[in-house]
Amino acid sequence: MINTVTKNYYLGEFKSYQVTYVNSNIEKSVPLDEANTDYQAIQQWISEGNTVIDNGE
Amino acid sequence: MAIDKVTTASITDANITTAKLAYDAIPFRNIIINGDMSIAQRGTSTASITGDGYYTVDRFSLDLDTLGTWTQSQSTDVPTGQGFAKSLKMDCTTADGSPAAGDKLIFEQAIEGQNLQYLKKGTSSAESLTLSFWVKSNKTGTYTLELLDNDNSRSFSQTYTVSSADTWEKKTITYTGDTTGAFGNDNGNSLQCNFWLGAGSNFTSGTLQTSWGSKTAANRVSSSQVNLADNTSNEWYITGIQLEAGTSASDFEFLPFDVNLQRCQRYFYIHANTNADEIGIGGYYSSSQIFCDFQFPISMRTTPSVYITTGTNYFRIFRNGAIDSFNSLTFGAGNVNMFGLYNNTEVSGTAGHAGFVRPENSSAVIGADAEL
Repeated sequence: MINTVTKNYYLGEFKSYQVTYVNSNIEKSVPLDEANTDYQAIQQWISEGNTVIDNGE
Repeated sequence: MAIDKVTTASITDANITTAKLAYDAIPFRNIIINGDMSIAQRGTSTASITGDGYYTVDRFSLDLDTLGTWTQSQSTDVPTGQGFAKSLKMDCTTADGSPAAGDKLIFEQAIEGQNLQYLKKGTSSAESLTLSFWVKSNKTGTYTLELLDNDNSRSFSQTYTVSSADTWEKKTITYTGDTTGAFGNDNGNSLQCNFWLGAGSNFTSGTLQTSWGSKTAANRVSSSQVNLADNTSNEWYITGIQLEAGTSASDFEFLPFDVNLQRCQRYFYIHANTNADEIGIGGYYSSSQIFCDFQFPISMRTTPSVYITTGTNYFRIFRNGAIDSFNSLTFGAGNVNMFGLYNNTEVSGTAGHAGFVRPENSSAVIGADAEL
């Protein structure tokens, strides 16, 4: 279950999401790829009203 | 019979069966990957499972919605004399004897559509599918096995019975071909093989859909479905899962370990997981940013996620006679063949210095995840 999602910036561009999970020491850095199922899960999580953290560059 | 009497006419086609041939006539006939449970890159045991995810054996995931707490492990308890070395074990550690309507527990594998085109689904020539496997549980009774067509939202459920407690039993179920709804010829999740282990009334209250048809939640699971979560003494083992075209089950197709591993690595790959491992060559792009690339052993299904454990000084870069430690690496660029990773929050060095990037902590893990 997703805990938090944060935008990652690389050389000035938004390149991936950083995802943490409930009760897990695993994190994922998720590319902006629609065929990636972690990316799909983030979009679903956002559609359920959750908020992505955006700290800028 | 004299040799010159052996002709096409004297041996009928029906009598030439796979079992009589001295070799596997149809290599890679098993649609299921890692059906013998031999590959477990993530680890061999995970406790306190309460939600969805991939935990131990490769390519198999859990769809778990508030129905007990579980330990999943790769087990050496296997059916005798069948050639299997490993099985998958589900062990209930917190019971839920009264599932809410939407609760469910499914052990499943998702399959890419481009691996299924020869089944000719959605045509008048659609192939039947036969699923065979070995199962053992203390919990006897009826279980549901569902094929789910995600491209066309169609499903087909049948049941099997665990007849004898704590005894390995082989089960074989045939699903007739579906003349409606073709699988997408792509890398998406077209077909799921769903082993139901428990379900709430949302999935059991209708009439079990025992032929291909539009997916209807209430018809997905037998009303007699066992609730494996109803007691902490419950265990369920499975191995030898084979899904193949046709109406009969052939012997399980054992693959060499390296071939099986490579098939799994299309979806998930552990690159480094101890403090003695290498990650790759890197360098300082600027005084506060390092980069590091590594390649995957085979092309992955799609651009993967970085799968990583993070913590204080879990990673380090050896450069110019010094060592700089940092906590994590992040996806900066990549494709199905390699990652370009970076850290720009915890390092300080000299732009242009190159180095070796390595884990520093025995709990550090980094990999690539392109699962379905």
